[in-house]
Amino acid sequence: MMKWIRWRGLVAFVGVVIVLSGLWFLFIDSFVERMIEKTGSRIVGAKVELADADLSLFPAGLTLKGLQVTDPDEPMKNAFEIDRATFSIDTLNLFRRKAIINEMTLDRLRLGTSRKTSGALPSRTARAPAVSKEGSKKEFKVPLFEVPDVGDVLKKEALKSLKLVESLRADIKREKDNWRARVQDLPDKKKVDEYKTRIDRIKKARKGGIEDILNAASEVAAIRKDLKHDIKNIKGVQKEFKASRALLKERLNQVAKAPDEDVRHLKEKYSLSPKGVSNIAQIFFGEQVGNWVERGLIWYKRLQPVLERAKEMKKDSEVIKPLRARGADVRFKEYEPLPDFLIRNTKASLKLQAGTMTGEVKNITPDQDILGAPLGFVFSGKSLKDIQSIRVTGTLDHIVPSNTKDAVNFRAKGYQIQDIVLSDSTRLPVTLKNGLMDLDGRLAISGEKFRLEAKATLKSATLKVGVQDETNLLATSIRSALSEISGFTLYVDVYGSLDKYDMRITSDLDDVLKRAVRMLVQAQVAQFEKELKVAILERIGAPLKELDTSLTELGIIDDEIDKRINQLDGVLGDVSARSLLGNKNFPF
Amino acid sequence: MLSAIAKLLKVLNSENEPSQISLAIGFSMIAGLSPFYSLHNILILLLVLVLRVNLSAFILGLAFFSGLAYLLDPIFHWIGLHVLTAGLLRGLWEVLYNSTIWRLERFNNSIVMGSLLLSLIFIVPLCILTNLAILKYREHVLAWIRKSRLMHFIKASKFYETYKSLSKLKGES
Repeated sequence: MMKWIRWRGLVAFVGVVIVLSGLWFLFIDSFVERMIEKTGSRIVGAKVELADADLSLFPAGLTLKGLQVTDPDEPMKNAFEIDRATFSIDTLNLFRRKAIINEMTLDRLRLGTSRKTSGALPSRTARAPAVSKEGSKKEFKVPLFEVPDVGDVLKKEALKSLKLVESLRADIKREKDNWRARVQDLPDKKKVDEYKTRIDRIKKARKGGIEDILNAASEVAAIRKDLKHDIKNIKGVQKEFKASRALLKERLNQVAKAPDEDVRHLKEKYSLSPKGVSNIAQIFFGEQVGNWVERGLIWYKRLQPVLERAKEMKKDSEVIKPLRARGADVRFKEYEPLPDFLIRNTKASLKLQAGTMTGEVKNITPDQDILGAPLGFVFSGKSLKDIQSIRVTGTLDHIVPSNTKDAVNFRAKGYQIQDIVLSDSTRLPVTLKNGLMDLDGRLAISGEKFRLEAKATLKSATLKVGVQDETNLLATSIRSALSEISGFTLYVDVYGSLDKYDMRITSDLDDVLKRAVRMLVQAQVAQFEKELKVAILERIGAPLKELDTSLTELGIIDDEIDKRINQLDGVLGDVSARSLLGNKNFPF
Repeated sequence: MLSAIAKLLKVLNSENEPSQISLAIGFSMIAGLSPFYSLHNILILLLVLVLRVNLSAFILGLAFFSGLAYLLDPIFHWIGLHVLTAGLLRGLWEVLYNSTIWRLERFNNSIVMGSLLLSLIFIVPLCILTNLAILKYREHVLAWIRKSRLMHFIKASKFYETYKSLSKLKGES
């Protein structure tokens, strides 16, 4: 048995272990440094640089110095920079492959610092700019209410009244032709002559015998019947004709009113009502708020891997998907469940231009479902350079991955605003020169839906409005109204999904401006209306007159029908047995 | 490549016990097929150094099986995942999962489990077959080769010089 043991081998093994341990102690710091830089750069998509890393075993801890994380969208800037980060690590759990950091301290965390060299990765192309969302960045236009040129308006617009005129003209012509044809078919002079011939024959029968007289009497009755029938037909046609003419007259009346309808429509389309300034808050602050929301959502999406990671369940065991070609780690039920990665408590001092904010973040882990507790944070600062106080608190609850609930509350008091350009329009530039703002808001994200509500109250505000064209009464009115404003309240409501959202910004500024421009707008609208009416009537007057004449001409047809009825009536009046056969005493 | 073949021949032709060589091949299979930085490989290293197994055979085997592992990784993953998620074994895995030493071993990784399981299954047959093969080789092939014309030709070649120089340098360990 002993011939199988190689004691020198044991010494060699111990030697190997000692050499490896020595190498580990010598190079582990550089190894950790390189690993953080490499892994961080891969995750962020831009250079992550570290000045120094120091790993200690007893007690287990890690200290990082000079950590710079490049903003992938702006490679000449750091997304954040930390002078010193210390981690106190739970050693026992480290052996169980769990990175549990009990305490993390970030000293002098700074955002958006400049870099000396570009932090773009050589193999990466610059990211495409963030896609603008509908409703967030609307084209910036200050409404300047000018009366539109009526000639231009009428060139562009198809008038409804003209269309009606054309249609009625065609209908009148068709009706005229139709009635002319029908009148030709009615009993005419020829027919009257036929009746007269028949009457003459009866008169001759008077000199005949009894039989002739009897035949004549029945012929009288037949003529009367035929005449009545013809008269009835003609009267029926006349009735139809009158109804048709009345309809055309009614349409003519409608056409005569159509210009008013055109005027009303075009006035609404081209002129402004005081409603035009009801969204001035949206115009002034929409772009700014839209940019903030957009930036916030980009960072929220970047935070997602920290809050959750890809998992799949397989027969009651959880399979975590690690990097490709390294297999899959299967997670089983733990007697004391703990996430693979957890930072229990983070203390950070955030150095901003305005001063230093301090804060705490609890429970940073991508496995909140295992920990059973959400990520919570609070940051606050007092007596900063431009802000009296600021406080941001929040909870990112991803305990149930299918039902995430994130909430952030923020409050700032006494934020000194200076030189914010609200409108860079050359026609009506508006700058918020200074003011003191109190801000209160809350953000709620549930799954893919979110809602941001904020109220900003501005006091001691000075708005500077430059008007290039002093002849523009409306612009000058807005200027005088805005210049008198010393405070206003702004309400922001952004809601929708993370990819598509709507934004509503309202303010009492809107009411002030509405009051200021109402009279002016009304006068301009009246002027536009008057000009429009005259122009439309000019266009439509002649065709209307022509239609009226055409309708009057239809009266000739009516006269003709009347004439024919009268002729037949006349004949009918002459046709009776007594008048045709004389005063004979008939037995019948 | 020439040097590796020479080493192999040297090991096979040495006066070492065939079991020392076959056991070294068996250990190299476990270390080579499973991910190198696994806890059980420290134990394999200890065994290889303490037990009187042939180190050259172990190193050659390690190189061979490490290369083979790249091809077999998908199979290891498939087997490991099925074993780890098998309902019958869940109780056992849960106990191991809650033990620090087994967590360090990373038994819950599909490739670690698949490769370790397969190499443990095959180590005994591999050792026996290798042992038999070496015995047969020395008994029949080596004697025949030594007498063959080809061997006379090889002895006069550069390859044989390499083989001889290796023998002189490293001795009969």
